[in-house]
Amino acid sequence: MRLFATRHPVWAAIIAVAAAILLWMIFAVWPDGLEDVIGRKKVFLNALFNGITLGGLYFLVASGFTLIFGLMRNVNLAHGSLYLLGGYVGYFAAEATGYWLLAFPVAFVVVGFFGILLQVLVFRRMEGEDLRQTLVTIGISIVVADLMLWGFGGDFYNITPPQWLSGPMDTFFVTAVKSSGEPVFMKYPMVRIVIFAASVVVGVAMWLALNKTRIGMMIRAGVDDRDMLSATGARIQIVFVGVFAFGAGLAGIAGVVGGTFQSIAPGEDIRFLLASLVVVIVGGMGSIPGAALGALLIGLAEQFGSVYFPTYAVVLTFLIMVVVLAFRPQGLLGRA
Amino acid sequence: MSVSATNISDRMAATGTANALELRGVSKMFGALEALGDIDMTVKPGERRAVLGSNGAGKTTLFNCITGDFPPTTGSIRFFGEDVTGFPAQERIRRGLRRTYQISLLFTGLSVIDNIYLACRGVSRGRFSLLRPRRNDALMQSAEDLVRVVHLDDVRDTMVSDLSYGQQRQLEIAMALSGAPRFILFDEPAAGLSPTERRELVDILTGLPGHVGFIIIEHDMDVALRVSDRVTMMHNGRIFKEGKPAEIEEDPEVQALYLGGGHG
Amino acid sequence: MVAIDSPRTTTTDMRRRIASVPPVYWVLGILLLIIPAFASDFVMFQIMGWTFILGLIALSLMFLGGYGGMVSLAQMAFAGFAGYMVAIFGDSAISGISQGWPWWIVIPLALFLTVIFATAVGWLAVRTEGIYTIMITLAIAAAFFYFTRQNYELFNGFQGFNSVLPPELFGIDWRGPEAFYYLTMFWAVTGFGAVLYVSRAPFGLALQGVRDNPRRMAALGYNVTAHRVAAYAFAAVIAGIGGILLTWQSAQISPGTVGIQSAIDILVIAVIGGLRHPIGAFIGAFIFVLLKTFAVDVLIALGLGGERFQLLIGMGFLIIVFFSPDGLLGLWEKLKASRRRDPLTGGQR
Repeated sequence: MRLFATRHPVWAAIIAVAAAILLWMIFAVWPDGLEDVIGRKKVFLNALFNGITLGGLYFLVASGFTLIFGLMRNVNLAHGSLYLLGGYVGYFAAEATGYWLLAFPVAFVVVGFFGILLQVLVFRRMEGEDLRQTLVTIGISIVVADLMLWGFGGDFYNITPPQWLSGPMDTFFVTAVKSSGEPVFMKYPMVRIVIFAASVVVGVAMWLALNKTRIGMMIRAGVDDRDMLSATGARIQIVFVGVFAFGAGLAGIAGVVGGTFQSIAPGEDIRFLLASLVVVIVGGMGSIPGAALGALLIGLAEQFGSVYFPTYAVVLTFLIMVVVLAFRPQGLLGRA
Repeated sequence: MSVSATNISDRMAATGTANALELRGVSKMFGALEALGDIDMTVKPGERRAVLGSNGAGKTTLFNCITGDFPPTTGSIRFFGEDVTGFPAQERIRRGLRRTYQISLLFTGLSVIDNIYLACRGVSRGRFSLLRPRRNDALMQSAEDLVRVVHLDDVRDTMVSDLSYGQQRQLEIAMALSGAPRFILFDEPAAGLSPTERRELVDILTGLPGHVGFIIIEHDMDVALRVSDRVTMMHNGRIFKEGKPAEIEEDPEVQALYLGGGHG
Repeated sequence: MVAIDSPRTTTTDMRRRIASVPPVYWVLGILLLIIPAFASDFVMFQIMGWTFILGLIALSLMFLGGYGGMVSLAQMAFAGFAGYMVAIFGDSAISGISQGWPWWIVIPLALFLTVIFATAVGWLAVRTEGIYTIMITLAIAAAFFYFTRQNYELFNGFQGFNSVLPPELFGIDWRGPEAFYYLTMFWAVTGFGAVLYVSRAPFGLALQGVRDNPRRMAALGYNVTAHRVAAYAFAAVIAGIGGILLTWQSAQISPGTVGIQSAIDILVIAVIGGLRHPIGAFIGAFIFVLLKTFAVDVLIALGLGGERFQLLIGMGFLIIVFFSPDGLLGLWEKLKASRRRDPLTGGQR
């Protein structure tokens, strides 16, 4: 970051000022004039929190996508289908056992296993044929989407979180001050905060694994130069299978999260595939921190957009993508 | 011919006896590693020079500096009297410098004649033309001529992916000859060729027009000594000997360092 | 082939060119011309017309993908954009938006705007590695879809435009089955011929060079980015014509026309036919149209519900990509090559 500041002093200054303004808006009590112009602080804080937690969800989905692409050069356009599959599996697991927490490992294992099958039975035979692999993922997504539609119908499935997570949680953010001088604190759904915290943990764990372990080093080397990696004699096929399974499993977990936050239904696969695409285009391909940054930006853009520019909320996110593509085609944290 | 070419021939006439290539004090550091150290080299127009040396002697780095892939850390490079040290690769190509690559960079989905045609088109106008070339198209003629020069007449319409390795290397040379070059850098053209193919390579190189000079990097002493007028020996990034092919071959220092006491 | 070695008279040249056209094309050409004599209105308008239209749009994808190495999922968006422009500047039932300008302004304007749009998209998409092209163009196609759905001032949102009809030129109703058949056939053949011709002009050759070895092309003095963007512009003209014809065929255009599903359908069509040769686009389109028209009956006969069309297409697509990634054309090439090979020695017969 210091390097960034020394190389791009103007940008660093702008970001610093923007961050300061944002922090003030979050923690300070808003004067009346500001509320007249922008609206109530509660709305702003809600949008902010929703954006951040949505960003967490997007990160879970997009990081799997970018991991698979970064290492195996496979644009996995079936990633959305994996998300949806995880959602359905998680729903039924939670319903059947009554334990919401169980949905996560079940979804991870089932979708991860499906990922193993895909890599071993399909993609391994097309080693090096990037376009062909991508076409296959398109075919798979079409088939899997229709099978799920056939099996689960067009209904909306909601995964209900357990009692101890439901309901709002008191936060220390002040939304307004009552006439008596007492501050009003914001309440926010606990489940969203918990899940966001979990996705941060997952992100940090992934970063640690990639940067501090030998396997992580192999994966990073492979992202840089695939041929070099196989030349070192590393059991590259096993690494590929592992990474694909993990990426798929992440998408599955994200499906459970999405089913809890919102709902699972046909069409969500396309929606989250597109979200993954936009997030990694903005954040940078093959970069986990890039996926985090991109997810945060897109989550915030979507939420603020839907609150303050409802008609064009979705277009706003694509606009960000277009701007990044125009001025930094490799993504914000991508390598040039 | 394009406007820039006219300027070049004007310039050529103007500079008269200017050297084709003049390197003064050229060095290249990669961090703390000295890849090239204090290189002074003069090549006359039409001269055929061989640069020899063991692996890591700095030959390819020298080429990369001359073509403009990266700038030298110190020193100057003059091309036909013009200081090109700061010029990008594009500009040097437009002034008549060409290069072949160790790994053939060819267009595998196109035929031999298509490859050469593209190379000829590259430095002239009409690259975006939607019209197919007419019967008397000059560029097409030059492409056909080049096919003959590199002895690839019978495979003119064959796709590059169907060519043998040796034929691909010949095509590589044709690409370097496109667009009337004044000076070519051949980067290990004989690597991987059979003895027959090597003889053909020597024929092609010695048969080049007289005004086209070249520098050849080679490991194969036979090919290098047979096609060159002068030999430069490099070691550890520096030039340690220069002379006529026969002199170099018999020089005891060269033999000890490079040939290992014998010549095989 | 660009073979020019000795001066010939014009007649021998023409005779040679005519002789070099494969006989298949002659058969096909004659067949296409006489089909209206015995085919039903439905076959001409719905099956053949749709084949020519989808084939044109898939042709634009083939041009970018096969000759340029850039698989673009935005071609349907460009086609739809052209259709929307015709609806907005020409006549439609939405009189509040449609300008009602004459066709000889509207159609060139629509195509021109489509080229501008595609050039901008191309510029965004080509400055990264080839593999990103699919992602970026898919995202942009999605963005366009959402925009047309949300915007009511210009694109009339969810509903889109209806009653978008071709102009009545020479007193002919161009939506009549026979007229429409010949209209779409004309443009399909023109597009096909144009792509084939340009593929061996400097423009097309340079594009193929950029596909095979961008680094070498740059070293030879070509502006790689400019060539790629120019390819998008050229392909946009073809896609635009297809889009206008598509709008006239259904007499309407709406966000559904440019949705993700349609974008992927075009890719499926181009890949099934084969990306190596322009005819692949039309082969793929024909099969797709046949499937779409008759699949419901096939599915019901198989005992599956009629709604399982996507499953059928998806499985068919998977099978093709698995066993013959060059599509049906690739399969045909392999068959020809194996028949020519002597089974004992493996050499050519």
